[in-house]
Amino acid sequence: MTEAILFSLFSITAVFFAVNVIFRRNAVHCALHLVGVLLSISGLFVLLNAQFIAAIQILVYAGAIMVLFLFVVMLLNVRGESPLLTPGAAKGFGFFFAALAFVELLWVALSGGGSEGTARPPAALPPGFGSPAEIGRILYSTWLFPFEVTSILLLIAVIGAVVLAKRKFA
Amino acid sequence: MQETVIPLLAYQILAAMLFTIGIVGVLVRRSALVIFMSIELMLNAVNLSFVAFSKQNGQMDGQIFVFFVMSVAAAEVAVGLAILVAIFRSRETANVDDVHLLKG
Repeated sequence: MTEAILFSLFSITAVFFAVNVIFRRNAVHCALHLVGVLLSISGLFVLLNAQFIAAIQILVYAGAIMVLFLFVVMLLNVRGESPLLTPGAAKGFGFFFAALAFVELLWVALSGGGSEGTARPPAALPPGFGSPAEIGRILYSTWLFPFEVTSILLLIAVIGAVVLAKRKFA
Repeated sequence: MQETVIPLLAYQILAAMLFTIGIVGVLVRRSALVIFMSIELMLNAVNLSFVAFSKQNGQMDGQIFVFFVMSVAAAEVAVGLAILVAIFRSRETANVDDVHLLKG
């Protein structure tokens, strides 16, 4: 019962904040509503036995990435867009294709994802599921190579950001 | 007290809704900043379904994948916002309709 109430609460707040993210005029308001979405999703992660991922979600996403966003919003000092949405036929196409994608996603979800099927009962969770110790054990054994590649990706991103920010444009 | 289990389908539908909202944001908004935020929204919807499937199957590989998605998102935001700042410095706009240098 508690789980159902918390799931409803977090999903309603997530969707509410998400709609606000894309329809607010002020970019700062958009960023703050995005923080609301991220916090709701981290609550859902806790419901899904992913405590470590939930903590990382708050620290990395709601902490670091959103601070970067807010910093750039303040730095650019963009005035409110006078037409909020893309004018003309492009807007209609946007909503149409988004609705199409939603129908497709729902269809895939409801049809049970092919032969595998989603109607199976959930598997029994092994002890320590989602704990930092278990995550670390898998990350540094099975997923060691992708983990190292990620560190190179982050290094490239740092260098790229510095180069782009320092370059003088005509 | 009977503890109810939320079905996987509920999480999938929620993820589909968040992803669709992200698509709408990318397609109809004009501010490049809000488009970036919508991309974050879509990545988070995918993360949610990864974690939901991870619990459904009792395997933690989905949670590891969320870890990688987050680091790629961090890299994407850093580079993307640097590009945005560079565009703003040269053209005084963060509006994607005004940046059409590559258009013939």
